[in-house]
Amino acid sequence: MGTKVIKLVFLKELKDIFRDRKTILMSLVIPLVIFPLLFYFMGSSMDRSAKQVEDNLTVTIVDSGNSSLSQYFGGVEEVKLVESSDIRADIRTGRILAAIEIPDTFDEDILAEIPTNLVIHYDNASQSSQMAYTVLSSMIEGYSKTVVAQRLLARDISDDILTPVVIDSRTTVAEEEGFGKLMLSMLLPLMLVIFSISGPMGVAVDLGAGEKERGTLEPLLTTQTGRLSLLWGKFFAITVMGLLSTISSLIGLLISMRQSGGLFQGSAVTLEPVTIVLIGLVTLLLTMFFGALELSISIYARSFKEAQTYISPLMLVSFIPTYATYLIDAKNIDTYFFHIPLANITCLLKEFLAGIYDLSHIAITFSWIIIYIIAAVLFARYMFSKEEVIFRT
Amino acid sequence: MIEIMELSKNFKKILAVDAINFHVAKGEIVGLVGENGAGKTTTLRMLATMLKPSSGTATVAGYDIVSQSSQVRGEIGILFGGEVGLYDRLTGRENIGYFAALNGMTSAETAASIDELIGLLDMEEYIDRRVGKFSRGMKQKVAIARSIVHQPSVMFFDEPTAGLDVSATRIVQDFILHCKQEEKAIIFSSHSMSEVEKLCDRLVIIHKGEIIEDGTVSQLKAKFGNDNLEDVFVQMVGDSNGN
Repeated sequence: MGTKVIKLVFLKELKDIFRDRKTILMSLVIPLVIFPLLFYFMGSSMDRSAKQVEDNLTVTIVDSGNSSLSQYFGGVEEVKLVESSDIRADIRTGRILAAIEIPDTFDEDILAEIPTNLVIHYDNASQSSQMAYTVLSSMIEGYSKTVVAQRLLARDISDDILTPVVIDSRTTVAEEEGFGKLMLSMLLPLMLVIFSISGPMGVAVDLGAGEKERGTLEPLLTTQTGRLSLLWGKFFAITVMGLLSTISSLIGLLISMRQSGGLFQGSAVTLEPVTIVLIGLVTLLLTMFFGALELSISIYARSFKEAQTYISPLMLVSFIPTYATYLIDAKNIDTYFFHIPLANITCLLKEFLAGIYDLSHIAITFSWIIIYIIAAVLFARYMFSKEEVIFRT
Repeated sequence: MIEIMELSKNFKKILAVDAINFHVAKGEIVGLVGENGAGKTTTLRMLATMLKPSSGTATVAGYDIVSQSSQVRGEIGILFGGEVGLYDRLTGRENIGYFAALNGMTSAETAASIDELIGLLDMEEYIDRRVGKFSRGMKQKVAIARSIVHQPSVMFFDEPTAGLDVSATRIVQDFILHCKQEEKAIIFSSHSMSEVEKLCDRLVIIHKGEIIEDGTVSQLKAKFGNDNLEDVFVQMVGDSNGN
């Protein structure tokens, strides 16, 4: 009867879940659209502030000597010169983005070929002001270069003298993929762990505490079926839903990386099939682990609300090792990291994304995941067999 | 059909059921009567193998509740009071069918049994609609059908009319009498004396986990010299408390 009943419970739970619009919305639809929307708005707001600086580079130039540099700025179309009586206050309020103080002796110094000091005021806590600073600096650099070129020309020297070495950089990752891959190696491991926790959560709560709250658990326990078959059926249904939810989040993430105008500016990342398979396997196992753990907690709780209250700390605790390692570089990760729960998952996923397949790291991490799953399933089994848990009212 | 022998249950230090003995014959309705917390539900849960006895045992349709729990569950049907405990997103038929399958019935057996119950309980109109929008009476019928779909030989009713209106109560009571006609052994737990008097062949009075009386309604009335069952009950409980 065993497998037949497990299948029966599994199929019934899936049918029940798929008829619940709320669950479908929460675990499939929202994960799918959340990243494209989030990254789109992040990207477009960054674009907007960049554009704002481009179109409206408001600058005050303090220059009593009316130097050649201020005339140069006057001729640059992007720069809008604004009068200001108190530059620091105007920068603070955003009336101007930056101010340049040009010394009285500027032209004389240039002519005499002595270094001259110039001050740029900007607000280092403001993104627009910082951008303005960058733009102005590069304009001044451009101006300096023309001065140098004139000086060299006067001495009849080629400006090649300034660049004895020319660097030709060649990247191991295709240039257009670099940024995407870097972002992915930071984001994806973190996201996959979070999805593995949050994916099965709603369903686990429903299938444990939900049964108690609706009063369906007791009739279920009076059927001929053993409790373990019920547990397995539920466990597999939770795993499938958790995985579907993770897949939908991942699709969302991929869409958001490819959308133009988003944060990733459409940088395309291609992963090898073996990488995808390994990442998929890790995610599946991790979802099983959290699914079993959440089901155990859920069956202990008296109601939906109680179950959610108990599961939230699990999420927060899991974030610690995950966030602690998310900035780590995939190259040369110390072996001890692969013994730390969840940190090992993040590190292994990072290695996979970087194209590193270290057999000992893979063996250690997979052994641990299997141990986690067995422990979580045994715990769920223990909870299901305990009268105090099942009839906790 | 049901034989209870020195059955006890303690939850940590609390003795919920204390070495009780009674039996129920085929076609007999035995009322398990007591105040809230007397041990009625605990007794029924042990008989249904949901709880393990601390000591003693019982047989249900010849199977031991401790060593043959799965077979016991195949022989029993339970109807609970309060929440009907149906899956709102499944149809009436799916709800009943799920429990039939969990009790090991084939799909052909299930279909035939459900068809019969639809006729018996007059559910044609709504059986293929989702339970979520059903009235309380409709849900009650589905719950009844679910409890009996696998044709159990023993029925337990745990305060099944608690919180029901008059017509829903009537549906349940008629169903209990129907089960009696079908020669099932029935334990009916309640604290409504009028209901007990109306339905039960015999009463087992449980108080603080112990059985203080076991007899027919008329026997009990004669013993206490009072024609009002409620007065008799209050007197029995009072005596047992040492008042």
